[in-house]
Amino acid sequence: MTSITTFYLSRVIGQKAYDSRNKCIGIVKDLLVDRDSSAHSSGHPVVNGIKIKHDKLIAFYSFQNFHIEKINGKTKVICDQLTELSPENISNNMYLVEAVLDNQIVDLNGRKLVRVNDVRLVTITNDTFAVAVDIGIEGLLRRIGIAKPMKFAFSIFGSAIPSKFILWEDVETIDYSNLNIKLSKSYAKLQTLHPSDLADIIEDLGRKASAELFSALDEEQAADVLEELEVETQVHIIESLSIEKAADVLDLMPADEVADILDALGDEKVELLLNEMEKDTSQEVRELLDYPNHEVGSIMSTEVMSFNRHKTVEDVLAELRAKKPEAESLYNLFVINKKDVLIATFSLRDLVISAPEMTIDKIMKPSPVRLYDDQEVDEIAEFISKYNMLAIPVVDRNEVLQGMVVIDDVIDDLMNKRRMNK
Amino acid sequence: MFKNRKSFFQRLGIFLAILGPGIITGSVDNDAGGITTYSVAAAIYGYNLIWTLIPSFIVLIVIQEMNARMGIVTGKGLADLIRENAGVKVTFFIFIGLLIADLGNTTTEFAGVAGSMEVFGVSKYISVPVVGFLIWFLVVKGTYKIAERIFLLFSVSLLMYVVSAIMGKPHWGEIGTSIIHPQLEINTKSISMIIGIIGTTIAPWMQFYMQSSVIEKGLKMKQYKYTLIDIVVGCVATVVVAFFIMVACASTLHENGVQINEAKDAALALKPLAGDFASQIFAFGLFIASIFSATILPLATAFYVCEAFGFEAGIDKKWDEAKEFYVLYTGILIIGAAIILIPNAPLVSISLWTQVINGMLLPVVLVCMILLVNNKKIMGQYVNKPINNIIGWGAIVVLIGLSAALLVLQLFQ
Repeated sequence: MTSITTFYLSRVIGQKAYDSRNKCIGIVKDLLVDRDSSAHSSGHPVVNGIKIKHDKLIAFYSFQNFHIEKINGKTKVICDQLTELSPENISNNMYLVEAVLDNQIVDLNGRKLVRVNDVRLVTITNDTFAVAVDIGIEGLLRRIGIAKPMKFAFSIFGSAIPSKFILWEDVETIDYSNLNIKLSKSYAKLQTLHPSDLADIIEDLGRKASAELFSALDEEQAADVLEELEVETQVHIIESLSIEKAADVLDLMPADEVADILDALGDEKVELLLNEMEKDTSQEVRELLDYPNHEVGSIMSTEVMSFNRHKTVEDVLAELRAKKPEAESLYNLFVINKKDVLIATFSLRDLVISAPEMTIDKIMKPSPVRLYDDQEVDEIAEFISKYNMLAIPVVDRNEVLQGMVVIDDVIDDLMNKRRMNK
Repeated sequence: MFKNRKSFFQRLGIFLAILGPGIITGSVDNDAGGITTYSVAAAIYGYNLIWTLIPSFIVLIVIQEMNARMGIVTGKGLADLIRENAGVKVTFFIFIGLLIADLGNTTTEFAGVAGSMEVFGVSKYISVPVVGFLIWFLVVKGTYKIAERIFLLFSVSLLMYVVSAIMGKPHWGEIGTSIIHPQLEINTKSISMIIGIIGTTIAPWMQFYMQSSVIEKGLKMKQYKYTLIDIVVGCVATVVVAFFIMVACASTLHENGVQINEAKDAALALKPLAGDFASQIFAFGLFIASIFSATILPLATAFYVCEAFGFEAGIDKKWDEAKEFYVLYTGILIIGAAIILIPNAPLVSISLWTQVINGMLLPVVLVCMILLVNNKKIMGQYVNKPINNIIGWGAIVVLIGLSAALLVLQLFQ
């Protein structure tokens, strides 16, 4: 026989638990579930343990022999046999009340943080799972203890209290209870989020939780997310990481973004980070840091693809395949002479539609628009709007190519300025 | 020599950059309700209640420092922390109280707008709807930050109360004597006045506001020293303005036996006693203070309620994304303004009940705060030092004691 019982976490917490002879064995304080919800085939975390307080003594028991009964609308916790949980079994679990209830979790579909008002659980034959979190008003009223009368009052007017649930597979919990112990928890579900969304979520979290969540990301994703964060959060995150880990993440970011972050950090920390980073990356960053903040050089991206004019289309394509540059450097290609002086530009489109044996000087557009590295940052906007360009090459006063300014790098500055003037 | 000066300017630069949370909170503190309470208290008791500003000042600094420290260490708002650590029921009680009290406070702010503009001959049926709409528009259209800065600049004009006070030719010697030896009869009226002064100086909603603005500024423990200066400057400004309002009213109204109910009455009563100019300055100060607080208060309240109960909030969100937030914000603003427009609205009892709720709420919020700030799990090494706890718990005990005394006195009269 399969029996299915559904119940809310708030209906069992604070309740008395009884043994089979109807004797009280204590008060339910918390439920323990699998830290990793993918451990069970259903994708829902199994309730493994229960925390019970009896005469000021706290004990943890296996949930296997517990079951929940509903008698006249009241929820009753009954235990057939008490089996204590071993300490290592306890530490493998997450506390539902302490870590989930009233805390913020990530809603993967809504891509934002939501606060948990209640947790819905279900018992199917012998296993109990957490199936959904309640983030609606009904959950709030249930916690305050006025859900039933309110429901009745609403039903008189023929309406219902708005309730809102999110299935467990669509949320990622952040285990606040273990932030100090640093037990590793995989945030696998967060991999599906866009780095910008993840950055917004991290910004909304408290200090400890944001650092913890960030350090659980893999380096590639961490670099993408770090790039999207606001300066204050960037600084806080970098300071919360070890120098080695921070350097590893920074190594994967474009040099101009790294320079922006380092600008906001203390000098000592910057030196430590630069020494720990890979040589060629840190060299580029150092050069960028030498530019004063108001000059174009300080925000330019140094990852540019430049070629000799006598190369053929085929050579260039081969080189691009080998180097696998980021999208923005791929779309804007430059031609330089032997002294690295910028002489022309050509686009990916020009390259793709031309015959393989054609040389670059046949398809390039000479005398390009360019910025000088010591020009004022404020002048970039004018250039971009005047020439309708997504990227502008940057040269020094000897016309030697130094990098390029991409619209992405200036758009935040421009938007900030507009907001200030509003 | 020059190097020293440069480092002084550098430090000044850092200070100016992080300046704000404490000073803004301090300015909002002297809102219409505050000005009313100070003037009424001074009109009745003369210089004899000025001493209450000293303990208020100390408690104010200690509380705001705790808020700032919590904000810096956790990066979380006070509403978040209370919800996560005290559970739904306590949170529900606090925020229902906060919502009602702030509705009352907002009404008081609009009463300030109406009253001050009446001194200049503008009818409240024009001033209140216009100001209400302007505030709503300003915030919903996202120019709030600019508005905040303009108001901050304007709030310097609150220092005009100094002029107002001096024009009343106060007796400085007498002020000194009454701070040290106040002549005060202990009865229901005087105790409720003392609670009123403390309650308006340390309003519960300000704790939430202070902590959020520290987080918004992204302050770090490294800048703690400057944050502390910011708080002290803000608290000094609050108390100095309060002091001069009390002096202005005590040296004119009290000495001539004029009794008042509202801040507007104070402005009007000053006219024959200290001249047109003193009266207009008083009214202008009231207007600025009311409009500043009427902008921040409904916004802040809607924000904390949503924060605590997990609704989306923030003026950067669209109406559909944060419906609860905008409905609450607009609702508080409209109800607050509408009450003023009702002819013969019981304004005095509204402001009285608001202060009672504020007074009941304050110890609850303070107890939550002290428990939070002493929680090692939340604060790590930055938990309270014994001195913070002594002053904090002392303030709570005194506040509860005063409220209890008020209740007992009322029962036996």
